[in-house]
Amino acid sequence: MHGKAVVVGVGESEYYERGRSPHSEFQLACIAIRNAVEDAGLKLSEIDGFVSYMDQRNPPLRLAQALGVDELRFAAEPFSGGGNNVGAAVQMADAAVSAGYARHVVVFRAIAQGQFGRFGAGRAGAAGRIPAPMAWTAAHGLLNAAAECAMHTRRFMHDHDISQEALCDISLACYANAQRNPRAIRYGRPLTREAYHESRWIVEPFHLFDCCPENDGAAAVVVSTPERARDLARPPVSIVAAAQGIGPWFGIRMFQPKPLGGAFYGDVGRRLWSNAGLGPEDIDVAQFYENFTGPVLMAISEMGFCEPGEVEDFVADGALVGPDARFPFNTSGGNIGECYVHGFGLVNEAVRQVRGESTCQVKDVEHSLMVAGPGYSPGSAVLFGRA
Amino acid sequence: MSRALGDQWPLPQIDDGNRGWFTSGELSVQKCLACGAFQHPPEDVCSSCQSFDLGVHLSTGLGRIESLVIVRHPPHPALVDAVPYAVVVVSLDDAPGVNVVGNLLGAPPEELRIGQAVSASFEEVPDPEGGETLRIPQWKLA
Ligand SMILES: [Zn+2]
Repeated sequence: MHGKAVVVGVGESEYYERGRSPHSEFQLACIAIRNAVEDAGLKLSEIDGFVSYMDQRNPPLRLAQALGVDELRFAAEPFSGGGNNVGAAVQMADAAVSAGYARHVVVFRAIAQGQFGRFGAGRAGAAGRIPAPMAWTAAHGLLNAAAECAMHTRRFMHDHDISQEALCDISLACYANAQRNPRAIRYGRPLTREAYHESRWIVEPFHLFDCCPENDGAAAVVVSTPERARDLARPPVSIVAAAQGIGPWFGIRMFQPKPLGGAFYGDVGRRLWSNAGLGPEDIDVAQFYENFTGPVLMAISEMGFCEPGEVEDFVADGALVGPDARFPFNTSGGNIGECYVHGFGLVNEAVRQVRGESTCQVKDVEHSLMVAGPGYSPGSAVLFGRA
Repeated sequence: MSRALGDQWPLPQIDDGNRGWFTSGELSVQKCLACGAFQHPPEDVCSSCQSFDLGVHLSTGLGRIESLVIVRHPPHPALVDAVPYAVVVVSLDDAPGVNVVGNLLGAPPEELRIGQAVSASFEEVPDPEGGETLRIPQWKLA
């Protein structure tokens, strides 16, 4: 399998700390889409498909009308979860364009947590009773993604003898790479190992800096056919392969024996490499969704880059920092360093690496990987490459 | 007995699926009457043999800590006075393949370790809406 569809445009809004956006979430979505479409050299009216994820607030019909789309031919959203679906959303656009159901599909995510509230605030029902499906865990104060991912992380650390330093190295790399990226919210605000360890505990084993901040912003790409891409403004970037891995449903199902201590990326990795006819050794640069640092360690090993017990060495000694890193990683700063756009900024960065336009550009990138949110199912990933 | 997370913390809504778990005062986990597999949470279908013939197993309430977290930053305004608290994932000795979640009471959270033996205890709370008395399963070091 080799990608039939290509990314022809990338764009984003300005990125803001939570609550600082002068625009509504819907306006942020429109800005990012407009920028991606303009980057491609297309007109908004030519867009004929939309895909997002966990997004009930900016639906395709609202966007199509607001943006003056001539004819909406395709609209979809992957099921279940949130940032785990970043890759699945790109995969849907790839499928729609490859099958000929649409010609120019926008994949995007907009998130204004100032306007609509934070994910991190506990999901418990404000008053009254805890809804029954959540009660198995929420009755015991296991409420948010931080605690859920911490539960898996603790077990992973125990099983594979991983220390807190490995978690710290993920956060340090994101902050360090963000120092090269003027778009990044954490630009000009480096992090030290000391400051990491001195930061307060949120939910052990996570310090404050193990958790990605929540922000306001939007990001988008345009997926089209290679034939159409020939007439467009920018060099196309191929969607070489994409994959999903379906694991357990939400809540207490995630803590049953088989998934406990894992991030649900074993299947994703096997499928991605098989779909692409490539392996981890072929990857020049990788973006890993960091909701929290711990699950990234699991995702790196489950995707096949190293054995779980080797992951602390794999990320140690600045191995993830800068364009010449041993393992070039989250080169824009990612969710932690650049902006939490529910992970979509990682797609834009993975595409820019193939184009040669990153602020932390790795040399001669042929294969650029984006791995979506670990710890929730279905996990997903996309491999981009030269068209 | 006061509740582990304080009296402000909302109680679970009780439905047919969780009534046994939250009110019986015993650890009742679903058991397939066709193949004997245990599963949690209860489901309409046995995920081992796809039978609809499902019953209940009353566990002795002995188990082991499979993982744990210490919540230090209150994730909800009603938990400001509850932190720090420990949440544990526990495997049941007599229901292999099943993990459950609860709070570990009566021990400093820092002293908890994966692999420690635990036993169930129950927080009894009258239902303020007049329903069945709740008996919420929690854990102590065995
Ligand atoms: Zn069965």
